[in-house]
Amino acid sequence: MSDVTCARGVELLMDYLEGVLSAGVMESIDRHVGGCPRCLAFIASYRETPALLRDATAEEIPGDTKRRLDGFVRSLSERPRES
Amino acid sequence: MVVPGADQSDEALAALAASGDGRAFELLMERYQSRIYRLACRMTSETEAPDVLQDTFLQVYRHLEQFRGASRFGTWLYRIATNVCLMRRRAASRRPGESLESFLPRFDESGRHEDTPETLSRMSHLDERIDRERLAERAHVALDLLPESYREAFVLRDLEELPTAEVAEALGLEPAAVRQRVHRARLMLRGYLNDLAGRLP
Repeated sequence: MSDVTCARGVELLMDYLEGVLSAGVMESIDRHVGGCPRCLAFIASYRETPALLRDATAEEIPGDTKRRLDGFVRSLSERPRES
Repeated sequence: MVVPGADQSDEALAALAASGDGRAFELLMERYQSRIYRLACRMTSETEAPDVLQDTFLQVYRHLEQFRGASRFGTWLYRIATNVCLMRRRAASRRPGESLESFLPRFDESGRHEDTPETLSRMSHLDERIDRERLAERAHVALDLLPESYREAFVLRDLEELPTAEVAEALGLEPAAVRQRVHRARLMLRGYLNDLAGRLP
């Protein structure tokens, strides 16, 4: 694996980030990425993606919904358990 | 006598709840309510989320005896909630929208990125350049467009931030399959966001 391409690097990117590749493969990816501005730009945006979406979708439960659900849970917990 | 309390583990509370302790059940559901609500919004929609929670709580209540503590209680609960979300999505029979395939990275015949570094990093600091509500709206559209199996894996791994091994357990998959799905989802979503950034005035 001496000649990693951008395409090959992208294919292995998550495995690379999770550290499940062999040391040799990791090194050959490092070598390619180190000299490839396109991969550097791509990887930065790839890594930014989860946090962007996480922050954009972090909904909090509205008060009235919470009260209704609490009531529902209570109605369940007061029920005798079937055995 | 063991009294259910905030200092007890999920698993201990689950055991008490299974033996008929209503207070333990309430504490346990209270502990997970916000997380499951967020999960439901991400996997279905804000409109459907309250129903997803009710269904999930009901399923948990009915099946408490089946929780044997072989996995963490949270993992077991996420598995149930994910299935409820899937069921809801199927029932709502969403119309097929545009595919996210077109947002995957493109390479030339030598395997090199077709896009320039400038184009590839258009989405940098996107959250500072776009209205919060609009980003939230686009984020939900994008999640909704993901293939079902990618969405589940991505939401649990990257949005709920469960470790890959736990996602694998919750979805009944091998960790390698989880990584593959999350990766494909990230590639599509990255492309979607980068494209969105390129359209901003």
